[in-house]
Amino acid sequence: MRFADDNPNGPPARPTDSPGGPLLRLEGVSKTFGGVQALKDISFEVPSGTVMGLIGPNGAGKTTLFNLISGIFAPDGGRILYGGTDIGGRPTHRLVADGIARTFQNVELFESLTAAENVMVGQYVRTRCGFWGAWLRGPGARREERDSQAAAAEWLRFVGLAGEARTPSGELPFGWQRLLEIARALASRPRLLLLDEPAAGLNAVETEQLGRLILEIRGRGITILLVEHDMSLTMEVCDRIVVLDRGEKLAEGTPREIQTNVDVLSAYLGPDVGAPSRQQAR
Amino acid sequence: MVRPSLHNLVPYAFFVVLVGSAGLWVDNPYYFQILSMIGIHALLALALNLLMGYAGQISLGHAAFYGIGAYASALLSARYGLSPWLALPCAMLAAGLVALVVGYPTLKLSGYYLGMGTLGIGMIVFIVFREWSSVTGGASGFVGIPPLGLGGRALLDVRSYYFLVWAVVLLALCGSQRLIRSRVGRALRSIHDSEAAARAVGIPTSRLKLQVFVLSAVMSAVAGFLYAHMVGFISPDTFSFIVSVKLVTMVVIGGMASIWGALLGAALLTLLPEVLHAFAEFEMVVYGLILMTVMIFLPQGLTRGILDIYALRRRQSERAARPAD
Ligand SMILES: Nc1ncnc2c1ncn2[C@@H]1O[C@H](COP(=O)(O)OP(=O)(O)OP(=O)(O)O)[C@@H](O)[C@H]1O
Ligand SMILES: [Mg+2]
Repeated sequence: MRFADDNPNGPPARPTDSPGGPLLRLEGVSKTFGGVQALKDISFEVPSGTVMGLIGPNGAGKTTLFNLISGIFAPDGGRILYGGTDIGGRPTHRLVADGIARTFQNVELFESLTAAENVMVGQYVRTRCGFWGAWLRGPGARREERDSQAAAAEWLRFVGLAGEARTPSGELPFGWQRLLEIARALASRPRLLLLDEPAAGLNAVETEQLGRLILEIRGRGITILLVEHDMSLTMEVCDRIVVLDRGEKLAEGTPREIQTNVDVLSAYLGPDVGAPSRQQAR
Repeated sequence: MVRPSLHNLVPYAFFVVLVGSAGLWVDNPYYFQILSMIGIHALLALALNLLMGYAGQISLGHAAFYGIGAYASALLSARYGLSPWLALPCAMLAAGLVALVVGYPTLKLSGYYLGMGTLGIGMIVFIVFREWSSVTGGASGFVGIPPLGLGGRALLDVRSYYFLVWAVVLLALCGSQRLIRSRVGRALRSIHDSEAAARAVGIPTSRLKLQVFVLSAVMSAVAGFLYAHMVGFISPDTFSFIVSVKLVTMVVIGGMASIWGALLGAALLTLLPEVLHAFAEFEMVVYGLILMTVMIFLPQGLTRGILDIYALRRRQSERAARPAD
């Protein structure tokens, strides 16, 4: 791609941790909503620089886990370690500044803003201009605004939306909205990217492009946690997969191991199904 | 967006020419008073528009900050002999502090808590103005507010006062526009669209909402200062609940999230009572009707409705001109 490594608004050149070490580590994480135990004693590690899949039937607790990692809720029990430190209770905007970005299962764009503006909002934590800077509009503020626009254009190009910078995001086709959401998340220059069902609502061609995009993002050293129902995509891009079912961790392993895991198959297809189904195990 | 293109300067040029020529041609003190009043209302509408139109937070008690500005400046200059120009920052500070106290707890929550909080503070401030007679003059009002002078020279006549008011409006216009087109402005607009998503992309939403609320209150206090020293007499009724509703109506008519719309809304609602004399008794009803009509037929307000149609046309023709991809 066309990023210079010293571009202040570009992505980080390399993850700052020791290669292969866990960027994210969950230790016995639990969460209850009223009477519903959404997550129960979940532990796993996400090695730096990998794509970790998170799959499971509807209501398994995948989105809840994302909400815990991104600081929207605090876990009831257990610890979430990011880069070695416990991030439980840290507010979301701090976590974004620390390098955790996400997308939403139901696309959450700023619909009255243009595509480029959405991406620029994504750079909020990496930019500084405040009220006074906006009013005085000195050289520093102007330079920052210019850099921010340039970076937004580059991120749009990266996800394949170069021509849509000025389109209000609400008017984009649904599949492109998903891509724009990824661009907005990338604009905060994350080390960990949480993607919540990015392929939902995409057609086959778009899903294939998404797969390539995910690998390209990983190629930039960004660690990815991917929730996805599309099994062929998941198996293709994930280095490892964790399976959740009704709030519990059912299995963990490489895509190949997960595909042949009996517990996983019965969780998805009911206990009596024997024949492994490779593709859509929805 | 960074470079001020011609496209952006045209409205300003129009504004300056209009205000300038009106100021030179008009020769009737009563008209000057009305024109200055439009300016003061425009300042208030701009302030409220930052909060409502851009950050998406409603205030039902903005007249309180207008009143705090007026009373604080009146008190300090008339009773304690402070120069009005020194009273102004004190008045701004007072309004800002009250806004901080109201906004801090209510803006942590998303939803209409600020609306409730400001409704309450509007009532309380109004009652204080009316009942604390020894300080505020009570229901009969506060008299003897000194007029403004510039640089120790003669006091400002109506014409200069008109120019002063509109210079402040111009400043507020530029300031608002710069703010909206900045990083902070984009963040505010994103809060309006989806507060949850704004938080999730790293925007400290509570803090930003509080900052813009305080800013809006401080701007309103400046309007109060301009009003108090223009008319020389203030009474609680000028800062009552109905005035807060009137301000909301101005913003809605002009179009939320439209800076020039705020001017239009302010002008319309200042002139309307002057034209329709039956208006006074049914003020509340008229505002209610206007609000309902605009919400139903032009939810984006007058200016925005028209601008949106224009923008849509332009994009459509751009699309048509671009080869299909
Ligand atoms: N904010 C909430 N309040 C109450 N219950 C919740 C909340 N969020 C999730 N839950 C419950 O927690 C359980 C797990 O939900 P979650 O959304 O995490 O599932 P999921 O794995 O993302 O499912 P899907 O594949 O349908 O998106 C569900 O029973 C859900 O009803
Ligand atoms: Mg989900």
